[in-house]
Amino acid sequence: MVNATLAPEPTERAAPDTSAAVGIRVRARHRRRQAVVAYLFLAPTLLFYAVFLVLPLGFAVLLSTSRWAGFDLGDIHPVGLDNFAGLFADGSTFLAPILTNTLLFALGTLVLALAGSVLVATCIDKLRFQGLWRTLYFLPIVTTVVAVGNVWKYMYQPGGLVNGVLNAVGLGSVAFLQDPDTALPSVVVVQAWASVGSAILVLTAGLKSIPESYYEAAALDGAGPGTVFWRITLPLLRPSLLFVCVTQFLTGLQSFALIIVMTKGGPGDATNVAALEMYRQAFSYGDWGAASAAAFVLFAVVLAVTLVQLWLFRRKGEDA
Amino acid sequence: MIRRRFPWLSYLLVGTGAVLTVVPFADMLMTSFKGPDEAGTLPYRFLPRAFDLSNYRAAIQQLDLPVLFRNSVVATAMITGSVLLTSSLAGYALAKLRFPGRDFVFRLVLSTMMFPPFLFFVPHFLILVHWPLAGGNDLLGRGGAGLTVSIVALAMPFLVSSFGVFLTRQFMVSIPDEVLEAARIDGAGEFTVWWRIVVPQTRPVLVTLGLLTFVDAWNEYIWALLVSTADPDVMTLPVGIQFLQDHVDPTRTLPIVMAGLVLSVLPVLVLFLLLQKHYIRGVMLSGLK
Repeated sequence: MVNATLAPEPTERAAPDTSAAVGIRVRARHRRRQAVVAYLFLAPTLLFYAVFLVLPLGFAVLLSTSRWAGFDLGDIHPVGLDNFAGLFADGSTFLAPILTNTLLFALGTLVLALAGSVLVATCIDKLRFQGLWRTLYFLPIVTTVVAVGNVWKYMYQPGGLVNGVLNAVGLGSVAFLQDPDTALPSVVVVQAWASVGSAILVLTAGLKSIPESYYEAAALDGAGPGTVFWRITLPLLRPSLLFVCVTQFLTGLQSFALIIVMTKGGPGDATNVAALEMYRQAFSYGDWGAASAAAFVLFAVVLAVTLVQLWLFRRKGEDA
Repeated sequence: MIRRRFPWLSYLLVGTGAVLTVVPFADMLMTSFKGPDEAGTLPYRFLPRAFDLSNYRAAIQQLDLPVLFRNSVVATAMITGSVLLTSSLAGYALAKLRFPGRDFVFRLVLSTMMFPPFLFFVPHFLILVHWPLAGGNDLLGRGGAGLTVSIVALAMPFLVSSFGVFLTRQFMVSIPDEVLEAARIDGAGEFTVWWRIVVPQTRPVLVTLGLLTFVDAWNEYIWALLVSTADPDVMTLPVGIQFLQDHVDPTRTLPIVMAGLVLSVLPVLVLFLLLQKHYIRGVMLSGLK
C-alpha cells in the first residue's frame, strides 16, 4: 500500500526539459513526498515512544507525587513531595540499608569484575585456543538469570558444591545466603561472575589496539614486565578500563533480577536494593506512589553517574 | 611481557578462570540426573550415581513445559520480528531520507536510551491493565484486566529498540546514495528501495541485532514475572521454572528444576555457539551487556 501511493511519477523525472519554475515545483513536491514517506517509516517507532515512553514517564511523575489505591484512575490524590519525604523519613529503610546496599552491590561487582577481567584479558592475548576461551567466558552472558541464580543458590546451600569444597579442605560450612553478613557479598560474586565475560571482551579489544612497537621499544630499553604493565599497558588501556567501570557500575545500580531469584532481598533487608524496593512497593504492597518516588531517586543516581562519565570522556578527549 | 616469560602462568590463570566459569553449568547438568536423596547432601558428590533421565520426564510433566516453551517462543518471535522491522524502517528514514525534523527525531532516539528500564516497570504494567477496550475494559480503561491477560503483553514493552534504530541507521548511512537514486529513477518507490536494496545490504547488522534481541527476549524475567502474576497462562520458561522452585518443596524438586533449566538454556546456548561471531560483534557494538 505504501509502495503504490508513494512511488514517484515518471513525469517528475523528466523535469529538466521543462521550464525552471516547473522544475522547482516538481522538486518541492518530491521533497514533500519524501517527508511523508519518512514519517510513515518512522510511525511505528514514534507511536511506540508516545505510548511506552512519554506516557509512562508522565504517569510515573504523576504517581510519584500522588496517593492512589490502584484501581480507578479518577481516584488519584495529589500529595506533593510526601512520597519522597517518606523515603527519607526517620525509620525508613530506604537510605540505609537499601540505598547503601545498592551502592555496595554496584561497587562490589565493579571491583570483582574489573580485577578478574584485567587479569584474564592481559593473559589471554597471546594464548592459543582464543575462540575456545572466549566461548567459555561468554556462556554466563547468554544464560537466563533464573538459571544462573538457582544454580548458584544451590551451590551456596549447606549441602551444595561450595560448602562441599570447604568441608573437603577442612574448613567449616558457611551459611552464605542465610547469614545477613555474607548474603550481599555472596550475591555480588554471582553478579560479577555473570558479567566478567563482556568486560574481558572490551579489554581484549583495547589491548589489541596498543601498538606492538611500544612493547618492543620498552624491551630494548630493558624495562621489566612490571614496568611495562604499569607504564604502557595500563595507561593506554585507560579508555577501555573507564568504559568497563562506568557501564559495570551503571548495570550494578539497576540490577535486581538476580537478587529476586536468589534471596528476594533477604534475610531481612540484607540484600535489598533500590530497584527491588521499587518493585516490592508497587507489586507486593500496592504503594504506587512510594514505588515511583523510589524509581526517580534511583534514576537521579544513575543520571549523576552518567553525567560524570560524559565529563570524564570529554576531558579525556581534550587531553589527546 | 608476563605472558612471554611465563606462558604456563597465563595458561594456568586463564584456565582456572574458565573452569570457574564452567563449573556452575556442569553442576546444573550433573544435578539434573541425580535422585531426590542425592542432591544437596554432604559429603558432596559431583557426579550422579546414574545418568537417569527421569527428572527430565518429570520436568516436562510438572512444569507444563510445552506450554512454557510455546509462550517463550511466541513472545521472543514477536519481539525479535518487531524490533528488526521497526529498526530497519526507522533506520532507513533517518539515514537516507530528507525530511524536516530529521535531526530532532535522531536526537530523540539517542536520548531515549538514557532512561533505564526500571523506570518503566510500574507505569507499563498500569498502562496495560488500563488499556482501553481490551480484556473487559471500557473506553476509559476501567472494569477489566486489560491487556495483561494476553500473550501480547509479554512482548509489548519491547517491540521497539532505540539501540536497534541507532545501529541500523549507522550502517545504512554508508550505503551509497547513487545506488538508491538509480533505483528511484527506474521507478522504484521508497518501500521497494528499502526492501530490495537497503535490507539485503544491511543483512549482517540485522542478523547481529536479531540475535542480541532474541537472547535478551528469551532470557527476560522481571516483566514476564509481572505479566504472569496477572495471568498464569502466559508464563514463560524462566518464570515457570522459578515458580516451581519457589512453590514446591525445594529439596525434593531441585533435580527436576535443574533439568528444566537445562532444557530452557539449551536453545540459546546452541544458537550462541552457532552464531557466536555475530553475537560477540553485537556486544562490542552495544558496549557492555
